[in-house]
Amino acid sequence: MVRYLITRLGQALIVIVLVTVIAFIILHLLPGGAARSALGKEATLEQLAAFNHEMGYDRPWVQQYLMYVQRLLHGDLGYSFQLNQSVTEAIGQRLPKTMALSLLSTLLAVVVAIPLGVIQAVRRNRWPDYAITSLSLLAYATPIFFMGLMMIILFSQVWPILPPEAPQGFTLGEMLAEPAGLVLPTVTLAIVTIAVYSRYVRSSMVDNLNENYVRTARSKGLSERRVVVLHTLRNGLFPVITLLGMYLPALFSGALVVESLFNFPGMGQLFWQAALKRDFPILLGVTLIISVATVLGALLADLLYAAVDPRVRLRGRTS
Amino acid sequence: MSAPIEFTVRHDEAARDAGENEPLLRLRNLHTDIALRRGTVHALDDVNLEVRPGETLGIVGESGSGKTMTALSVMGLLPSGGSVVGGQILFEGRDLRSLPTDEVRRIRGVRMGMVFQDPLTSLNPTMRIGTQVAEPLRVHEGAGKAQARERAIEILRRVGMPRPDRIVDNYPHELSGGMRQRVAIAMALICSPRLLIADEPTTALDVTTQRQILELLDDLREEFGMAVILVTHDLGVIAGRADRVAVMYAGRVVETAATAELFRSPRHRYTEALMEALPEMAVREPGVPERLYSIPGLPPDLSRPPAGCRFAPRCRFGTDECRTTEVTLSTGGHQHACLHPVALTTAAPAARTAPVSAPAVDASGPAPEPILSVRGLVKDYEATTGGLLRRTTGRVSAVAGVSFEVRPGETFGLVGESGCGKSTVGRLVVGLEQPTDGQIVLDGTDIARLPRRERRRMHRQVQLMFQDSYAAMNPRMRVDAILSEPLEIQQVGDTAARRARIGTLLDQVGLSRRVLERYPHEFSGGQLQRIGLARSLALQPRLIVGDEPVSALDVSIQAQVLNLMRDLQRELGLAYVFISHDLSVVDYMADRIGVMYLGKLVEVGPAYDVVRSARHPYTQALLDAVPSATPDLAAPRESVTIRGELPSALNPPTGCRFRTRCPLAQEICETEPPLAGAAHQVACHFPLRQEGGAEA
Repeated sequence: MVRYLITRLGQALIVIVLVTVIAFIILHLLPGGAARSALGKEATLEQLAAFNHEMGYDRPWVQQYLMYVQRLLHGDLGYSFQLNQSVTEAIGQRLPKTMALSLLSTLLAVVVAIPLGVIQAVRRNRWPDYAITSLSLLAYATPIFFMGLMMIILFSQVWPILPPEAPQGFTLGEMLAEPAGLVLPTVTLAIVTIAVYSRYVRSSMVDNLNENYVRTARSKGLSERRVVVLHTLRNGLFPVITLLGMYLPALFSGALVVESLFNFPGMGQLFWQAALKRDFPILLGVTLIISVATVLGALLADLLYAAVDPRVRLRGRTS
Repeated sequence: MSAPIEFTVRHDEAARDAGENEPLLRLRNLHTDIALRRGTVHALDDVNLEVRPGETLGIVGESGSGKTMTALSVMGLLPSGGSVVGGQILFEGRDLRSLPTDEVRRIRGVRMGMVFQDPLTSLNPTMRIGTQVAEPLRVHEGAGKAQARERAIEILRRVGMPRPDRIVDNYPHELSGGMRQRVAIAMALICSPRLLIADEPTTALDVTTQRQILELLDDLREEFGMAVILVTHDLGVIAGRADRVAVMYAGRVVETAATAELFRSPRHRYTEALMEALPEMAVREPGVPERLYSIPGLPPDLSRPPAGCRFAPRCRFGTDECRTTEVTLSTGGHQHACLHPVALTTAAPAARTAPVSAPAVDASGPAPEPILSVRGLVKDYEATTGGLLRRTTGRVSAVAGVSFEVRPGETFGLVGESGCGKSTVGRLVVGLEQPTDGQIVLDGTDIARLPRRERRRMHRQVQLMFQDSYAAMNPRMRVDAILSEPLEIQQVGDTAARRARIGTLLDQVGLSRRVLERYPHEFSGGQLQRIGLARSLALQPRLIVGDEPVSALDVSIQAQVLNLMRDLQRELGLAYVFISHDLSVVDYMADRIGVMYLGKLVEVGPAYDVVRSARHPYTQALLDAVPSATPDLAAPRESVTIRGELPSALNPPTGCRFRTRCPLAQEICETEPPLAGAAHQVACHFPLRQEGGAEA
């Protein structure tokens, strides 16, 4: 197990190093270079040269990369002149909020989607299956901004029980103090995820219920409930773990549309505004964070696999 | 539909159990349907059977005969869409169909047990062995955790599991196939059931493991005093183990009798045909095996079952009467549903007793140059760990110094159990893999050392035939594309010439030209194997390597394909390398046989000699383990029984690789024995016989 962990961590590290190289190259391919992007169109050549010298951009490529990595290791992702704030600070403010939103909605999605998928698989090709399938296809096909708008209209206009906007607190704590404002963004974000996850759970459970080991379990005279919950569910949830791992980047990047719609001060909004204002340090910082999150997500999913699937565990141990 | 038939079987075995004359299980007029999208398949049609306490009933039949459906109907485990639509399932006098669900579930969990075919997929991969085995105890008898664990260890020990106290905490993937089947048996037996249903319990296992498992089932039946229903397609397995046999065809029982009687004088024409289609029945004289009887056509479509006797359309003796009259089982101890049954005889069929000395192998004239000559072939696979950072942690020795020759027009049979390296040899010969060392000389050229382009040209000379032709064909290609692809790759002829060639190929394998526009999924297994053979023949090769080419087929279809392969060999002067785990098929097909064990050839010789006077203890053990369909007539056996499991090819034993399991092994066996002898070679320090057959 330990060796398995070390191997996978090593692989993750290599990928992350590659990501920093690519991010670094992009930084240097910026039209006019970083200096032009930071100082704007009006800057004179002398100003650009001075900036480049100050930032070390006139030094050899490899040295610059090492400096870049060194800064990264110290948590320095760069400085946004537009926000007049370091990238680390800008992200640090928004990341917890985005993570709270994503975690809440993912949790909601998983808690709802697994039972839905199981019900569909057990009642396959009967009315509960058809009903849930239709609803999830509808949810899946609805554009998320439209879904959000409908939610706002329904629950804060027609039947005004919830605020249409996310809480605007400066810290996460202040936001969590107003839970009512979090309901609509969380639910909107969760609905599509529920639709996707329940489809996965359904097909995985349908496959597993046709497996020979389930027939063996039935031959032992077990109740249907025990067969489904104790024997099939654990094997049926493997695809969901992969999905969760793939979803981890979204935990950091935030949901662009939902954050804009509900004016939620998170990573998605930050990224969106940076893209509009050509705020490259922010864009690069966010990209790097997401890349690292993607790699870590895959790693985490693999480790979760190892925790639940004894076959994976063994492969690591006997090697 | 026939009237209900009461069984009045005179039953010797059951008579032992005085006072327990009531059958344990009785199926009366059982009808089972399976609803599919395109219609309803009447899988069982009026099945009547009974099992008495303590007896073994064998149910035998080909795929689609309803034998498994019968078992699943009893256990209430029919696949989705399947349901029992008529009749009674009387277990200990009570009809399971009219009892409440919970009650039936309890009966199935406690009073019955079932063992399934594929031990690799029949256990829950994420549950510990002990938990799975003891689960019925916990559920039905309310046993505590510690008690359940103890009973699990006890029953695992009883089914011959080594170190059961450690195995209980293992997961299924840590055990071999044979060990997993023991776990499945332990699981079925933990509540001491009255009835055990074993559905093809050994079909997925090697013969030596099969023998161990069947013997275990026999022992347990006696110890537990339970009845066993043994469902199988293998007449040999039935012959050795069952007290009584029911033969099924197309959803009906066509014949039932005491085992010895059934095999001595089958009455139904289907049973007769099935036995004649067995390769082991055909081998009478050395060198000139008679043609196998092959049942023409295919079993009927059970969504629209034909009237009358369902076998009539394929029967040699079928008359118009057969096709119109419903035939019911006759009464008495030996029942059959046939209008023109085989006449009763008292003469026993010829057994597989054979003269010990073999006639000299075709010594007329100088032997022709071999088309294929394999010398010192070695294939190692690197065992690696990790994904990206691969490191070699060992060497799996798949093939370790194999040498043999194949002459034009000859069939060389390669036998051995799974993992012995026979398929790897096949893949190396056709060039799908590169050998680590050694030579593969095809027609005078060493193809192992050829540059890529020239190796491609050599493919014209040697082609591969697969076990699962369906998996080996692109499902989105029509048959015409499948057959012309090899010609296109090798740039043979123009479009018209290719089309003509494909037509010839179809004629050769006995298929009509209409198949050209169809897709692989539209064909049956036997037809697919014909198409596969046609594809191998497309480039007019001189050598075809067949890797288990008939293993997935039913006996009657297998006979068709084997006959076809023989006919084509004679017409085209083909040579075959015939790879199979099935000794009786290889015995029928091959002129010479090589026996492999753990990457090495342990014995090579004329087929007749190897099978009838084996020299290597492993060969003898393999032969002894093959169940024969002529049970009481079999010649007295040497009986070399091997125990234990195949060693890992990662660290194979030094010297003779078989020595760790060999009853004759001594110190000298730690040095490697050479393959010695003239025509009949053996690699053993203590061969069972001298060459020529004299006992050692």
